[in-house]
Amino acid sequence: MRPRLLFLSSLPQRYWGRFTNPSFCLHEASVRSLRRHGGKQGHSPSLELLASDAAPEHSAKVQAATASSAAASPAPKNARGRQNPNIASPESGATANNLRVLRSARLEKVHAMRQAGVEPYAYRFEVSHSTQDLHQLFGDVEPGTIRDDVHVSIAGRIMNRRIFGKLAFFTLQDSSGTIQLYLDKQRITEHMQNRIPESFSRLKQWIDAGDIIGVTGSIRRTEKGELSVYVKEWTMLTKSLRPLPDKWHGLTDIEKRYRQRHMDLIVNPAVRDVFRKRAQITAAIRRFLDTHGFLEIETPALHQQAGGAEARPFVTHHNALDMDLYLRIATELHLKRLVVGGFDRVYEMGRIFRNEGISTRHNPEFTSIEIYQAYADYGDMMRLMEDLVVQVLRDVHQGVLQVRYQDTELDFSPPWRRVSLFQMLQERTGMDWRSTALSLEEARALAHKHGCPAGDARSIAEVAVAVFESLCESDLVQPTFVVDHPRETSPLAKPHRSESGLVERFEVYCAGRELANAFSELTDPVDQRERFVEQSARKAAGDLEACDVDESFLAALETGMPPTGGLGIGIDRLVMLLTNAPSIRDVIAFPLLRPTLEYPNDGSDDAE
Amino acid sequence: MELSSGNTIETVTSDQDLRNETVGSDDGSVLSKNELKRRMKAQRLAAERELRQSSRVQQHQAAARDASSGNQEADEELMTSQQYFSHRCRVVEHFRSSGEDPYPHKFYVTCSVPQFIAKYSYLGVGERLDGEEALAGRIRSRRLSGSRLFFYDIFADGTKVQVMADARLDTAGNFATVHSALRRGDIIGVRGYPGRTKTGELSIFPVETRLLSPCLHMLPKPHQMLSDPETRYRQRYLDLIVNREVRPIFELRANVIRFIRKFLDERGFLEVETPIMNAVAGGANARPFVTFHNELGVNMYLRVAPELYLKELVIGGLDRVYELGRNFRNEGIDMTHNPEFTACEFYAAYLDYKDLMDLTEAMLSLLVKELTGHLKIKYHPEGRHALENEVEIDFTPPFKRISVMDALREALPSELRPLFPESEQLGTDESRFRLETICERVGVVCPPPVTEARLLDKLFGALVEPKCVSPTFVCDHPEIMSPLAKWHRNRPGLTERFELFVNGRELCNAYTELNDPFVQRERFLSSQRDADKGDAEAMAKDEDFCTALEYALPPTAGWGIGIDRLVMLLADQNNIKEVVLFPALRPRPNSDGDEAAELRDRVQDLKVKE
Repeated sequence: MRPRLLFLSSLPQRYWGRFTNPSFCLHEASVRSLRRHGGKQGHSPSLELLASDAAPEHSAKVQAATASSAAASPAPKNARGRQNPNIASPESGATANNLRVLRSARLEKVHAMRQAGVEPYAYRFEVSHSTQDLHQLFGDVEPGTIRDDVHVSIAGRIMNRRIFGKLAFFTLQDSSGTIQLYLDKQRITEHMQNRIPESFSRLKQWIDAGDIIGVTGSIRRTEKGELSVYVKEWTMLTKSLRPLPDKWHGLTDIEKRYRQRHMDLIVNPAVRDVFRKRAQITAAIRRFLDTHGFLEIETPALHQQAGGAEARPFVTHHNALDMDLYLRIATELHLKRLVVGGFDRVYEMGRIFRNEGISTRHNPEFTSIEIYQAYADYGDMMRLMEDLVVQVLRDVHQGVLQVRYQDTELDFSPPWRRVSLFQMLQERTGMDWRSTALSLEEARALAHKHGCPAGDARSIAEVAVAVFESLCESDLVQPTFVVDHPRETSPLAKPHRSESGLVERFEVYCAGRELANAFSELTDPVDQRERFVEQSARKAAGDLEACDVDESFLAALETGMPPTGGLGIGIDRLVMLLTNAPSIRDVIAFPLLRPTLEYPNDGSDDAE
Repeated sequence: MELSSGNTIETVTSDQDLRNETVGSDDGSVLSKNELKRRMKAQRLAAERELRQSSRVQQHQAAARDASSGNQEADEELMTSQQYFSHRCRVVEHFRSSGEDPYPHKFYVTCSVPQFIAKYSYLGVGERLDGEEALAGRIRSRRLSGSRLFFYDIFADGTKVQVMADARLDTAGNFATVHSALRRGDIIGVRGYPGRTKTGELSIFPVETRLLSPCLHMLPKPHQMLSDPETRYRQRYLDLIVNREVRPIFELRANVIRFIRKFLDERGFLEVETPIMNAVAGGANARPFVTFHNELGVNMYLRVAPELYLKELVIGGLDRVYELGRNFRNEGIDMTHNPEFTACEFYAAYLDYKDLMDLTEAMLSLLVKELTGHLKIKYHPEGRHALENEVEIDFTPPFKRISVMDALREALPSELRPLFPESEQLGTDESRFRLETICERVGVVCPPPVTEARLLDKLFGALVEPKCVSPTFVCDHPEIMSPLAKWHRNRPGLTERFELFVNGRELCNAYTELNDPFVQRERFLSSQRDADKGDAEAMAKDEDFCTALEYALPPTAGWGIGIDRLVMLLADQNNIKEVVLFPALRPRPNSDGDEAAELRDRVQDLKVKE
């Protein structure tokens, strides 16, 4: 198939309902940039854009397109749950129309380029430097000097255009930063005469903000001190059909940033840094564990039986086997089987799924790491946790152990504070929740008094944990190990070696949130069976988060599991802390969002 | 790597009688109600089975038991697995009641077994040091010589060391209690002196021995495990304990993954994570898993590939990204397919598929060289035990490059070649008719729906794939087979795509990415038409992705590799289940829910067959 020449009229009508993205309001943007650039007539990028976009020779076709789109059928229901929110937002028909005009003008340019024998969707471009490289290599070039002895070749997105007759300045952004392109008519015409005639006016005509282009040339610093690529040749690499969103708009409409992450990344360079840091953090964790003799393992994400945590699982169905499967809610039980199998130090970093609501702290799929170390107990896991975080800070935070998170400074210098859960609870509520004199009814009443509903709690221990979570969690700002939980709420943890009724477990809290969870693992199969049976009774009584008796796991324990310490860390939450992100959605590239309303008949803005 | 080494597990050789206990019946020790119930059920099952089996083996066992009555350890060898289990439970209870904790919280290990061996291998015969070390591991074999001298081989981290427990050295004061309770399979910790025995065996001479976790089941012997592969996968931990060649496969797997991450990190690629649950399944032709999000009340699909999200990130300005993770396809299970599998995809802006061929050659040749030590590897397509069926796979770059259409045409018998359509003709009824005719003539069956893409795929699979043993780039697929690849810059009807075939199987798939939003929409629509014809694997249209493309995706090349298949090649395994720790298996027939009891039955059955 040859690249199809796509005329507006040849497009299936159904496309047109979608191209009414009114929130990229060029109207406001242009007015603002007019002000920013002092309103110099003809030189403002926005004016330039509008002027060329609304050029008279195009207007006839544009109108035809508008007319044909009036009959457009309602757009198909959103594909990925990240439905374009703009359709549903009440914007004026005028701006929607404006966008359509801009887009069709860009389509005309695609057509024009192909007619001139220039492919607007190129195949490859040889890049010699990143913009960051250039700033580093040529940081010392004096203002007003030209380094024509060097040859550079860079590519990226045009963020901004300023045109002054025979001279133009574009801002090009690549993944490392931005640089100015110094575009001189004579120089470009000279170098490109064999490729594209009148290449400078083509450049002005064809290239819009948002396009991806590649340029070759040398280096020049302007009189004003701006380091620039002194362009000899340019190549259109990908023509963009939609104008870039206005920067300020992106910042205010948070939902839209998540729904259209690609635009968020284009206009907010800081977002890219978050994901770079996320990759550095996971790499640092892997490096730390690999050097300490841990083996990275992959266990199934589809389980025949959900277990290893208290959570509601997602259910799916395997067609060929005709059986229901559960998406894993934890990796725990499989990793422990491997410890039984002789892998003394294992970890898995991967996705976990829980069928629960979405919030600034919860995404239905999230990344966790679980680490198991044979012959270790929960005390060892506390040290491992501290060492691991210190190592991560060394790698991604220049070794500084103090991290600014929102309004507080978190200090990760070890050793971290350790508090007993019941002791803290006693200090906060003034009473001993482990007292044998306390009845379940009294406990519930007390919880109620503290403003914590615990009506469905089945034991005093559960009430106590619920009260702890609602009263004490928010006080735990600095990294803290909360240790020694009640047996009833920890079905996979080993009984405490000296305190009856408790287990050897800790949770790490930081900035008022749970960050990690660890136990001395329960290795006694008889005890484990009793815990499972208790869980299964709760499930029978309607607790959707409880699990069943997992016979195959018990069979593994019966084969003998060494004393083992296990530690689970929420990677997303760790990344939130280290990137100062208030919401989990800031650290997940494509968070799950509530589907927006059904499409209203978006013919409404076509019908004007 | 000890891939080929055999297994040598010594059995208990003692004929010493340490304690006289009745065997095989349940004792009166206090158990929890549930434990009791479970055991009763297991007993009942065992009894039923024994009734069913009137084999001579049973009689033989009974005879043997009579002959050596009063010999407890020899008896253990002859017990049914159920009897053994009850017996061991009783021993553990007894141990507990004598004040010892059979599941202690902590044992301080000073060094790992491999470290111990490295540190003390210099010791001469009969030499013994004074400094203490503490080791832990699982007992692989146990021998005794009187009641005051015990020998154990313990395994940890894939290596073995001997423990020579001499009562005269013991300072813990529970020598008899502990050592009479220990059995093959138990996890123990020993603290003592490093040394070498008079027979030259590097050993640890403990002053203290602790039971850390008892093994309540009789460990199967390697040949028992091999006879039933399903047990190996269902109880992978037993497989790992018993079969020493299993562990290195998963160490290799971790190394492969680490190598790929390192290779890409060094070249400026950023590792990212994109959603596994999507409202639409896209990025590959495959049947997805469906699930339901309760709170949002929507159906969601498990990803079949992360492709579209990764390209959105390239649009966002992350020029080089990769994701290494799980993908899901709702299809049957066979030697090369598991419903969940690990793949790595990467995308690089401003490169094209030719650049990626070079990168692929670099990555794979370096990887194979680093992990196996050679560029040529031996592989056994019929399994490692079919030695006569050996092929050599040569990863020396450059790899062979062939074009799909040319290779297909050449593979046809000469009289059929004129019938084979030109690439420009594809997409017409005539070419479909011709392909159908060709398939019929060469005896290739294409189950419905009969689309050109599927016809070509079947033909290629039958005629060309088997010939690609050493790595071969198969390039320039027709557009109808590649909805996300960019049209070829010179050859109409084709795309800029390659698949890397090794040993007749697809290992990598890559293309210059289609970045023209209109052509992409057209492709989705035509794919949709295939879906309407009944091809359930055809890709659904993703409007969000098309919209994202309108913001301009730079010229980009994208690449994917199946990690499981790569590990299969390097580990010389022909079944994906050998390189996945917990492969998906058919639910067991007649499963009554009490899986563990059935597992015990199975072990028992194996024992009886022996």
